[in-house]
Amino acid sequence: MRVLARVKDPALNEHLVTAATRLGADLMVVNAPAGSAVGAEDRLLDAVRSHPDVVIAEAAGKEEMLLLRAETESRGIALVVACPSEGAARCASDARADEWLLTDSGPAEIAARIESAIARAEKPERPEATAQAAEHLRYEELLYDRFTGFPTLPVMLERGREILERTGRLTILYIEFVRYSKLEEIYGWQKLDEVLQTTARSVREFYDRQRGASESHLMVSHTGDDDFIFFTDLQEPVEEAERRINEIAEELERYIADRLEREHGEDIAGLFGIYVGSTTLFRNPKIRTERMIYRGIREAAQAARSVEHRERSRKVADLKSTLREGAVYIVYHPIVVTETREVYGYEALARGLLRGLRSPEVLFGVAEEANLIWELSRLCRKRAIEGIDENLKPGELLFLNIDPHDFRDPKFRYLDLDELGVEHPERIVLEITERTAITDYPTFQGYLKEFRDRGFRFAVDDAGSGYAGLGSIANLAPDFIKLDISLISSIDSNFMKQNLVDTMVSFANDHGIQVIAEGVEREEEYETVKALGVHLTQGFLFHNPHGNGKGEA
Amino acid sequence: MKDKTILVVDDNRDNLEILRAFLESRGYAVAEAPDGRTALAKMEQVRPALVLLDVMMPGMDGWQVCRTIKNHPDFGDTRVVMVTAKGGFEDKFEGLRSGADDYVVKPVDLKELAEKVERNLAARESGA
Repeated sequence: MRVLARVKDPALNEHLVTAATRLGADLMVVNAPAGSAVGAEDRLLDAVRSHPDVVIAEAAGKEEMLLLRAETESRGIALVVACPSEGAARCASDARADEWLLTDSGPAEIAARIESAIARAEKPERPEATAQAAEHLRYEELLYDRFTGFPTLPVMLERGREILERTGRLTILYIEFVRYSKLEEIYGWQKLDEVLQTTARSVREFYDRQRGASESHLMVSHTGDDDFIFFTDLQEPVEEAERRINEIAEELERYIADRLEREHGEDIAGLFGIYVGSTTLFRNPKIRTERMIYRGIREAAQAARSVEHRERSRKVADLKSTLREGAVYIVYHPIVVTETREVYGYEALARGLLRGLRSPEVLFGVAEEANLIWELSRLCRKRAIEGIDENLKPGELLFLNIDPHDFRDPKFRYLDLDELGVEHPERIVLEITERTAITDYPTFQGYLKEFRDRGFRFAVDDAGSGYAGLGSIANLAPDFIKLDISLISSIDSNFMKQNLVDTMVSFANDHGIQVIAEGVEREEEYETVKALGVHLTQGFLFHNPHGNGKGEA
Repeated sequence: MKDKTILVVDDNRDNLEILRAFLESRGYAVAEAPDGRTALAKMEQVRPALVLLDVMMPGMDGWQVCRTIKNHPDFGDTRVVMVTAKGGFEDKFEGLRSGADDYVVKPVDLKELAEKVERNLAARESGA
C-alpha cells in the first residue's frame, strides 16, 4: 500500500509514520515549504499522479481541496482530510473526502481511517450514484402512476403513436369517474382512498381480462385524478368497432359497480357514476402524432362529459316522475339508549325507488340541481310521518332530517301535523343537517323558535364533521347533538376522538343536551362510547339485517 | 427491549434533545427531524412506529405533516401524537381532520407523554 501525505503538523506527521509502519505501507510525505502554498499544491498534485493508494492532506482552501478530490477520484485514489478541530467532518464533506481525521489523532486512529478510506473509495456507491438512482426513481414514478401502477401519459403517448403508425388507427376511451356529492366529507378521506383503490384494482383486473380475451392491443393510463384512459387498436370496421367500444364501456361500468357494491356496500356504490366517452383517430401524416393523440384524448373526455350530462338529465326526469308517483320509501334506523340498548327512537331515511336514485345523496343531489329540493323534502317528510304508527311504538321518537333551506319553504313552516296524523309534536325531533351553511342566524333562530313553541325538538346533525362546527351547536341550542360518524369510527383506538367526545358529553351534560353517537358498527366502538357516557347510540350494530329497518332492541 | 422507533419532529433543538433523551432512557430508538419535509423523508428510512409531531413549525405545519403521513399507503398504521401549545377545542377538531391519534399539550409533562406513547404503541400492536 502506498500512502501519500501532506501534513505540516509535526505530531501528526510522527503518528502517521507509526501508522504507516503498522499498516506495512510505503509513506511519501510532501512537505510544503512555509509561505509557498502554490508550490505545495503543485508538488502534491504531481505526487498524486504517481498513483498512491491513499492521499492524506490537511484541510486547505475549498477550491484546492476540490481540485485534489478531482485528481484523486479520477484515479480511484482514496482521500483523507486532516483537520485541527471538530469541524473536520464538515471539511471532509465539503471536499467530498472518503474519510477525515483530527490533527491530534493517534497512530491507531490514523491507521483505521486510512483503511476505511480505501474501503470506501473502492465502493462504487458514490453519492452521485445514489443521487442518480434517486433521480431515476423519480423518473420512473413519473412514468408509472404510484397508486395504480398504470403508465402515465408520456408512456401512453409513445404507445399510442406506435399503434397509430402500425395500424393506421387508434381508439381512445376516456373513463370519467364521478363521485356524487361529498363522499369524502361524509365518510372521511380514508373511505375515499379505499374506494379509489378498489376502482383502480377493478380497472386493472378488467384490463387484464380484456387483454387475455381479445387479440386487440389495450393500454390503460390513469390521469392522476380519478379518470382513466384506454388506448386500443380495434381493427373491426368502424361501425363494428363502435359497438365493441360500447360493449367494453358497459362491461367496465358493470364490473366496477359490482366491485364497489361488494366491497363497500350499496350506499357507497350508489355515490359513483362512470361515464365513458370515446373517439377514434386515423393516421394523418400532415398532423403531428402527439398533437393528434392529445386532441383525441380531449375529445374523448368531452364525449364522456356529455354522456354524464345526458345521464344527469335522465336522472332529473327520473326524479320528476319519483315526485309525481311518490316513489320514495323510508328506512327507519333505530337509535338506542346506550346504557340499556333499548330503542329510544328512529331516524327516518328516505331512499328512491328507482335504481339510479336509491342513494339519498344522489336523490337529494339531483333535487338540488333541479331546484326541486322542497318538493322532495315534503314528500320524504310525508312518507316518514305516514309510517310512524306502523314502525314506531308509542313513546318512541321520530328523527326527521331537515335542511336549513326547508325553513324557507312556506309549506314546511306551517307544517300541518294534524293533516299528517301526528298528535304529539314532542315525538318529533328535527335534525338540522347543515349541508348548506346557515349565514343568517337571527332569522334562522326565529324559525326555530316557532317550531320550538309548537313543541318540536331539535338535533344538530353531523357534529364534528366539516359541516357542523361548534358555531352551529352554540347558535341552535339543540336538544340533541349527533356526533358525526367520522368521530366515532375507530374511536376505541383513537385517543384524540375519545378526548373530544368526552368534552362534548360534559358540555352536553352541563346544558341538558343529549349526545347521540352515529355510525357505531363494532362492539369495541359501542363499549368506548358507553364508557364515555354518550347517552344514545345509532349504527349498524343495532340494525336488523333483514327487516325494513325495524331494528332489534 | 423495545425495538420500536419513535420519530420526534420539532423545530426547536432543545425540545428535540429533551424528548430524545427521555424517550431513549425509556428504551425506545429515536430518530429526529427539525421540520416537516425532513420528517417525511425520514419516514421512508426509519419507518417509525410512532411520530411525535410538533404543531407549530415553519414551512409545513404539524397538521399538514400528519395528513401526509396518514394519507400515505405505507404508513397507515403509524401512530401520530401531536404536540400542541394550545389545548383548545378547535385545535382538536383540526387534529381529527388530519387523522392524528393522540396529542400532548405543551409544556410537555414527561410522565403523561410516556403514558400516551405507551398506550398508542399498544393500540397499534393490537392492530386497531
